Amino acid sequence: MGIADFFSDLLESLPWPQEVHAEAPEEGEEDKEEGKEEGDGEEKEGGDEESKEEGGEEEGEGGDDGEEEEEEEEEEEEEEEEPEDPKPRLEEECARSAQCIGYKHHYEECVERVTAQHEDPDYKGPKEDCVEEFFHLQHCATQCAAPKLFKLLK
Amino acid sequence: MFATSARNISSKSSEAASSPFYLTATASGATAAAIGLGAFYYQFVAQDAYAMTPAEEGLHATQYPWEHAKWTKTFDHAALRRGFQVYREVCSSCHSIKRIPYRKLVGTFMTVDEAKALAEENEYDTEPNDEGEIEKRPGKLSDYLPSPYKNDEAARAANNGALPPDLSLIVKARHGGCDYIFSLLMGYPEEPPAGATVQSGLNFNPYFPGTGIAMAKQLYDGLVEYEDKTPATASQMAKDVVEFLNWTAEPEMDDRKKMGWKTLIVTVSLFALSVWVKRYKWSTIKTRKIAYSPPKHDTRIR
Repeated sequence: MGIADFFSDLLESLPWPQEVHAEAPEEGEEDKEEGKEEGDGEEKEGGDEESKEEGGEEEGEGGDDGEEEEEEEEEEEEEEEEPEDPKPRLEEECARSAQCIGYKHHYEECVERVTAQHEDPDYKGPKEDCVEEFFHLQHCATQCAAPKLFKLLK
Repeated sequence: MFATSARNISSKSSEAASSPFYLTATASGATAAAIGLGAFYYQFVAQDAYAMTPAEEGLHATQYPWEHAKWTKTFDHAALRRGFQVYREVCSSCHSIKRIPYRKLVGTFMTVDEAKALAEENEYDTEPNDEGEIEKRPGKLSDYLPSPYKNDEAARAANNGALPPDLSLIVKARHGGCDYIFSLLMGYPEEPPAGATVQSGLNFNPYFPGTGIAMAKQLYDGLVEYEDKTPATASQMAKDVVEFLNWTAEPEMDDRKKMGWKTLIVTVSLFALSVWVKRYKWSTIKTRKIAYSPPKHDTRIR
């Protein structure tokens, strides 16, 4: 990805005669052309030469699905009056996943034990806290949710 | 002869002298004392004492896939504009960005007119006039972003003794950089874990070393309204403001990456050229063949 992107960026940055429109191109015509060639004209960025040449229906469909999902998510977020942060939801899902369930189990057990100690007036053992267990759970859950979260953010 | 006789003598003497009891006891006691002393030394002196708890270290920042951190990517300047908006509306009531002048905003994420209008909202000291008085004038593009407090002491007094750090270089100044700032901003749990002690006036944040931080949670969903209609979730605001803070710390990053690639390309091609020239110059030497043709058989002796 990285190095290939770099070269394509370099090519684009060269002052070669590119498709330069003085005025915005009429979108209707392009859509019609794409619709004729590919059948379903939902692809907005579907001007890829490769997909046209190869005629790969599978690739085209895959791209369509991805874009549709993204569009749906954006629409959902836009429709809501108060935008909802996806971070707590993602981290909760991650904490329940097989990856972090062990840490979650330890943390919950610790919370139970320590709260019981606090409520017990006769308890005279050493003072405990669940900071370490919390750290382990938090580290696992946030690291698992990090790439998912950044895909949703702009 | 001499060696063998000497060995005979020594073996005879060792057989003859069977060690008395007091020698055995002394040796055993000395050995036991040596082992005991060694164990004591290892237990109480030689081992490092680790007194730090995880809470004192702070939770290590989560690594996020920052787009602008990649080698071939620049800052997302729309995100910088959003981040500056978050800074102005949220952070700037306590934190300063002293090292960025208004002129730096021009061309990065603002037009000249926008930056001028922004600068004129604040007043700055003039040069002394004819009578030596210092008056106030509206800000210019060459002025630096204003600080919320006159000095550090005023900032401490207003914030319960805690100094809100200047944010100009904060991404460079903290271990973990962007990841740390983002984790810190978003890391406030709903309630501290059971048994954790939080001093009054402080808030629990796992990413802050010591876990007690004077700053409270600042970013809530829908706190600002973005111009470009981006949904202003807390994560989105944190991401934008962290990218903006990375820009204030490294405003030269875009140019630096461009220059780095130029340098790499030029040096690599020059190196390739030099390799080629070397091989070209040495080709006559490397490809020569040294042959020895012996003189023809000649029996005559001169």
